[in-house]
Amino acid sequence: MDVDHHALVGFAKSWGLFYLVAMAIGVLIYALWPANRKRFDRAKTSIFDKDDRPGD
Amino acid sequence: MREFFHRKLERNAIGFVLAIIGVSAIGGFVEIAPLFTIHETVEKAPDMRVYTPLELAGRNIYIREGCYACHSQMIRTLRDEVERYGPYSLAVESKYDHPMLWGSKRTGPDLARLGGKYSDAWHVAHLYNPRDVVPQSVMPKYGWLLRNELKTEDLGRHLAAQRTVGVPYTDAQIANASADAYGQASPDSPYAAGVTERYGEATNMRAFDGEPGRLTEMDAVVAYLQVLGRLTDAAQKQAAAAEK
Amino acid sequence: MIAALTIAERQRAISVSALLALCGLAMAIVGRDDLFGVHGVIVLLFGLGCIGLVMSNYFAPEPSEERLTRYYDDPTKVGIVLSLGWAVVGMFFGVWVAALLAWPDLTFDAAWASFGRIRPIHTSGVIFGFGGNALIATSFHVLQRTTRARLPDQFSPWFVLIGYNLFCVLAATGYLMGITQSKEYAEPEWYADLWLVIVWVTYFLLYIRTLQRRKEPHIYVANWYYMAFILVVAVLHIVNNLAVPVSFGEAKSYSLFSGVQDAMTQWWYGHNAVAFFLTSGFLGMMYYYLPKRAGRPIYSYRLSIISFWGITFMYMWAGSHHLHYTALPQWVQTLGMTFSVVLLVPSWASAGNALATLNGAWGKVRDDATLRFMMVAAVFYGLSTFEGSFMAIRAVNSLSHYTDWTVGHVHAGALGWVAMITFGSLYALVPWMWKVERMYSPKLIEVHFWLALSGTVIYVFAMWNSGIIQGLMWRTYNDSGTLAYSFIDSVVAMHPYYIARTVGGLLFLLGAIVASYNVWMTIRMSRAQAVGAAGDGDLPALQGAALQAGE
Repeated sequence: MDVDHHALVGFAKSWGLFYLVAMAIGVLIYALWPANRKRFDRAKTSIFDKDDRPGD
Repeated sequence: MREFFHRKLERNAIGFVLAIIGVSAIGGFVEIAPLFTIHETVEKAPDMRVYTPLELAGRNIYIREGCYACHSQMIRTLRDEVERYGPYSLAVESKYDHPMLWGSKRTGPDLARLGGKYSDAWHVAHLYNPRDVVPQSVMPKYGWLLRNELKTEDLGRHLAAQRTVGVPYTDAQIANASADAYGQASPDSPYAAGVTERYGEATNMRAFDGEPGRLTEMDAVVAYLQVLGRLTDAAQKQAAAAEK
Repeated sequence: MIAALTIAERQRAISVSALLALCGLAMAIVGRDDLFGVHGVIVLLFGLGCIGLVMSNYFAPEPSEERLTRYYDDPTKVGIVLSLGWAVVGMFFGVWVAALLAWPDLTFDAAWASFGRIRPIHTSGVIFGFGGNALIATSFHVLQRTTRARLPDQFSPWFVLIGYNLFCVLAATGYLMGITQSKEYAEPEWYADLWLVIVWVTYFLLYIRTLQRRKEPHIYVANWYYMAFILVVAVLHIVNNLAVPVSFGEAKSYSLFSGVQDAMTQWWYGHNAVAFFLTSGFLGMMYYYLPKRAGRPIYSYRLSIISFWGITFMYMWAGSHHLHYTALPQWVQTLGMTFSVVLLVPSWASAGNALATLNGAWGKVRDDATLRFMMVAAVFYGLSTFEGSFMAIRAVNSLSHYTDWTVGHVHAGALGWVAMITFGSLYALVPWMWKVERMYSPKLIEVHFWLALSGTVIYVFAMWNSGIIQGLMWRTYNDSGTLAYSFIDSVVAMHPYYIARTVGGLLFLLGAIVASYNVWMTIRMSRAQAVGAAGDGDLPALQGAALQAGE
C-alpha cells in the first residue's frame, strides 16, 4: 500500500475531527446520563468513609 | 448503550487502560504520522553535505555543555528575525541533525546562521571568556575547551551510529573518521587531503583554536560553530528567488 | 521498614538488588574508557547499598498476618521524605542558575559547575525528583484508600520508588559529567531511559493489580488521573527516547529521528510531559486531598469526568504550538494552536470545580494554610492554563516565543500550581501517615505559604516583564526601517529582572526548607508519641477484617 503525504494529512484532518466529535458526544452522554447520577453521588462522598483499614 | 459500555469499561480496569491509551495516543499518532512522509514535500537540497567528524564532535560538545538551553537554531519566518539572523530556516537544513537543536529559548542570540560571521580567533576568545569580547554578556566561560584534548578514537563508531539512524556516511568516511578529525584542524598535515576529498572542497580547513598540531575540544566546537547554516545554501537560494 | 517485609520479600529485595549491582559491575567494566563506566560504578554502589539496607535488619522477626488488615504506607512515607529532599536540591540549583544569569561568574572554573550542566539538574530535580516522588507517594496512598484494597505485595512499591530514584540519581550525576541527550525534560541517556521503562511497567502493573482487587465498584476519579499519568508518560517516554547508542559500552546515543520529525516528536513529548506529568497526576492529587481536607465532596463529579476526557484527548494535539513560524508544516501549527485554545475549557472546568468545592468553606481556607495552598494552586492552575492557551495563539507566540515569558509561564504553573498543590497535599498527608493529630507547627505552614506565594508572584512578574520587553526589543524598528536594538541591548535590559527572579526563587527555596524542617519535626514528634503510648491507642479496635487470598 502506498500512502502519500497528502492522503495522510487528509486522514489526520478528517478522521481527527470525527474522532473528536464522537469522543465528546460519548463522554457527555456518559457524564450526564440520569441513571449515573446515583453512582456519581456515591463516588463523590466515598472518600469520606472510614479509611483506616483495607475493606472498611 | 454507550453508557452501558462505559460502565463496563470502568468496572474492568484493563478496559479503562485501553480507553485512556486510545483517547490519548491516537491524537498524537494522527498528528505525527504525516510528518513521516514529509520528505515528499520538503525542499530538495542536493548540495547538502554531512558534518565532518570534527564538526560532529563539536556538535556533541555543544550538546554536552547544554548550549541549546540558551541558543536556538531556528530562524522563524518573521521579518525581524530574518533581518537580524538571515534567511529563515528550512526543514531540509536540519535533516541530518540527530537530534535537532532548534532550541526553545534565546537567552543568547540564534545561531542557525552563525557560520562565517566571526573569525575563529573571535570564537576562541569568546568561548574562553565571553566578557573579554562582549563586556555585558552573561554567557558562561568555557575555558576547559582549550585545556581538553579532543577524544577522536571513537569517532568512527559515532559516524557508524549516525549512519544507522539515516545519515549517509560512506564506508571511507567511517574508516577515516579519526584521521579526518585531526586533518581538518591541521591543514599542513598529510591527513588534510583526505578531508577535502571525502567532504568537499568547501570544508573549513584550519587550526581552529589557533594552535596547529594540537587537537582540542575548542577546535571541534569552533569547527561546528563555523559550519552552522553552511551545510547547504538552499535557504539563501530560496531567499534570493523570493526577492526576484 | 525492613521488619515489615516478609522473609520472602527480603530475599527478593536482596536478589533484585544483587542483580542490579551485577548490571552496574558489567557497565563499569565494558564502559571503563567512558563516562558510562562511572555510571556503572554508581549503579553498583546503589545496588550494594540496597543490599546493605535489607541485610541490616534481615534477621528481624517476620511480621504477623495482622499487617494485611492495614494499608501499606511505608513506601508513601519514604516517598514523601525523598520528595522534599529533591525539592530542596532542585530548587537550590534553580536559585543558582538564576543567579548565574544575573552574575555569570558566580561559579567555579570547572565544567560540572557551568550553567548548561547544572540547569538540567534544576529542571529534572524539581520535575522528576520533587514532583515524581510526590506523585508516586501520594498515588500509593490515594489508590489504597479509594479502592479499599491493600497494595498486592510489599516488594513492588519499593522497587518502583527506589528504582525511580536511581533514575533520578543517574540523571543528575549524568548532567554534571555532561551526559545528556539534549532533549528538554528527556535529557537522560538510553540506559537510564531503559531502566525507567522497567520501573514504570512495574508501577503500572502495581496500579492495575490493586485496582483489580478493589472493594469499591466505581474507580474514584483521582485514580483516573493517576492512571492517565502513568500510561501516557510511558508512551511519551518510549517514543521520544528512541535512539541508537554509539556502542553498548558508551553513554552517548543518537536519536532515531532528525530535524523536523525530531522537533515534532520532542515537543509532542515536551508538551504532554506538562500535560500528563505536571497536570494529570497533580489533578489526581487535587481531586483527593482538596475535598478530604475541606471536608466537602467535590462540587461536580460529572464535570470532573468531562474534564478528564477532555484533557486526555486534547493535550495530545497541542504540542506543535511550540513550533509556530518554524519549518514545521503550517497545518500542524494551526492544529496545535486550535487545540491549545480549546483546552482552556476542560482546564477551567477543573480549576472551577476545585474552587466551587471550597465555596461555602472560605472560613476554613482563611484559617487553614494547608487548604489555602490547595486553593491558591487551583487559582494558579486556572491562570496558567489561560496563559498557555493565550500564548499558543500564533500572533502572541511570535512575541512570546524564545523569551523569558515562556519561563514565567512555566513557573506560574510549576511554582503556583504543581508545587503548591503538592505542599498542600503533603501537609494534609503527613499527619495521617505518621498518625499524629497535626503537623509539628501550623505557624511554619503559614510562614511557608507566604514565602511560597510571594516568591511565585515576584518570579512570575519579573519574567513577564523581562519576556515582554525582550520580545518587543527584538522586533522594534527605527524610523529609518532598521532594527533598533542589538541583541546584547536586550540582554542588558534583563539584568534587574534576573535579580528579581533570583530573589523570588530564593524565597520559594526557603519555603521548601521550612516545609522539610516541619515534616522532619512532625516525624520526630510521632516517634516520641509512639514511645509514650503503648500500642495502637489511636486506631479503632480490629474488627476482625477478613484476610484476603494471596495476602
